[in-house]
Amino acid sequence: MAASVDPLVVGRVIGDVLDMFIPTATMSVYFGPKHITNGCEIKPSTTLNPPKVNISGHSDELYTLVMTDPDAPSPSEPSLREWVHWIVVDIPGGTNPSKGKEILPYMEPKPPVGIHRYIFVLFRQNSPVGLMVQQPLSRANFSTRMFAGHLDLGLPVATVYFNAQKEPASRRR
Amino acid sequence: MAIPVSMAMAATPTDSASRVWSMSSLKSALPSPSSFRLPTSSSRRPVTLRLPISSPSLPSFSGLSPVNPLLSIGLPDWQSFENGFKIVDGGGRVYAMRHGRRVPKLNRPPDQRKALLRGLTTQLLKHGRIKTTRARASAMRKFVDKMITLAKDGSLHKRRQALGYIYEKQIVHALFAEVPDRYGERNGGYTRIIRTLPRRGDNAPMAYIELV
Repeated sequence: MAASVDPLVVGRVIGDVLDMFIPTATMSVYFGPKHITNGCEIKPSTTLNPPKVNISGHSDELYTLVMTDPDAPSPSEPSLREWVHWIVVDIPGGTNPSKGKEILPYMEPKPPVGIHRYIFVLFRQNSPVGLMVQQPLSRANFSTRMFAGHLDLGLPVATVYFNAQKEPASRRR
Repeated sequence: MAIPVSMAMAATPTDSASRVWSMSSLKSALPSPSSFRLPTSSSRRPVTLRLPISSPSLPSFSGLSPVNPLLSIGLPDWQSFENGFKIVDGGGRVYAMRHGRRVPKLNRPPDQRKALLRGLTTQLLKHGRIKTTRARASAMRKFVDKMITLAKDGSLHKRRQALGYIYEKQIVHALFAEVPDRYGERNGGYTRIIRTLPRRGDNAPMAYIELV
């Protein structure tokens, strides 16, 4: 019996990747027509392109979006935890990531083994980041906590995650 | 414990020959009067009970036939309430309800059930997180924990026992290699079940089960 009802705690997103936070902004993520809710199942074939993300807030606030996978390469042996898929900084509030600076280009989810969680984390920036951060050396063994500490972003303001697994090669009957 | 018996005896119809009991004689015949308190303060007058015994004056020998415990209370050599109720029948009790039965049957005969659980635990240990129905996920927990406990022990005998249960031997060897680091401090509860949306085809309640 889950001790908490919050799907982020039940799915261990808070714990593996993030610390407990209070959501102060809203973010809605759409892969095509499908709206992402916590723990929903998404096929990787629909995630080839970056999703549409709508962020609430004033346009004078800047946000940072990070998309990571804590279950790389397999949930039973996450030796490459976390694998970062997308980093966009300096997104003005009330818009989408295309108006921000893409530090790390979007890479689509490619879960090799098992069911992976893919987490979108939104941080509110205190000041424009600009050139303070470069591309991480490799996508593997990324740490969202350390990234947030490095840029002094504090706790996240919004998070959503979905599950994805490798689609079978042959078409299902 | 004799009080409910006395109430039952009072409800039975009296025959031509009946014996009248008084509360004080009943109290003296009881094996352990200190185990309960009779409401002597509430009612002063003795409560009369009627016992349907055809011949009350005969000696107590009743032969080898099993004595009805309700009738045996009137006989002088009646020892205690429990003795009369021992019925030797091998322990097979059949009830109409499922009260207290804890083995999940999963709508399958026992051999298929065992094979299903073996397959599910193999897949969970291989992939780390699988999506299945809630009944199967909660039935699997016991066997996944058993396998991880075998791996924690680590001896050759336990390894062979695990090899006899899990279908792929690479998984057993990988399990025995990594479990001491991963679950060394954790005592039990190596899985987590997260309920999700029902399956589209048959609206079966689904769940993710994952290694902690």
